[in-house]
Amino acid sequence: MAVRIRLKRMGAHKAPFYRVVVSNSRSPRDGRFIEEIGTYNPVAQPAQVTIDEEKALKWLQTGAQASDTVRDLLSKAGVLKKFHELKQQK
Amino acid sequence: MTIHEPDALAKTTRINLLFDFYEPLLTEKQRTFLKYYFHDDYSLGEIAAESGISRQAVYEHVKRAEQVLEGYEAKLNLLSKHDAMQRLAAELERKIADLPIDSSFKQKLLEDIEQLTKTEMTEVTNHGGI
Repeated sequence: MAVRIRLKRMGAHKAPFYRVVVSNSRSPRDGRFIEEIGTYNPVAQPAQVTIDEEKALKWLQTGAQASDTVRDLLSKAGVLKKFHELKQQK
Repeated sequence: MTIHEPDALAKTTRINLLFDFYEPLLTEKQRTFLKYYFHDDYSLGEIAAESGISRQAVYEHVKRAEQVLEGYEAKLNLLSKHDAMQRLAAELERKIADLPIDSSFKQKLLEDIEQLTKTEMTEVTNHGGI
């Protein structure tokens, strides 16, 4: 079963807040996720991003597919660059 | 599915905010597809598999619903007014903090601003759709 890294919307009405979560491709919409690896708060000025780099790299290296939005976040946080560097070292 | 949408993050952020303002004006179907795609970040392929229609059909639904949201914003400007309001409130709070006035009076002014922004944040309760 494919493992995906995606955003999950939380937060209040008109004040969205997102968790970056790892979940199975086929878990139901409101269902569980395997692990939370970060957060994204677009309402803060400037937007706040936290990523647990170690966990993110671990999931990427085991083949988890990041959604387009998560790819954006990971590349902003410099995690994708690290992932590619690690890949090249092998 | 190797084509990556540029600025996917900015788009998700915007559409989800627009959704908060105009949700009651959407149809059930539009709401469902927008929630899958933008709230839960499912891929078109995953939504297609879940709802039993083609990936292309999902794409059309999502695209159309986005256009509906942007159409409402173009006419009603609720999101841009909200943003302006939030910015002004933050600005006022900063200015009040610097005023040479009694701290209890400052507190009163800050509460008034909070009341003002809260009123504007209130959710529309009619989710009946159209």
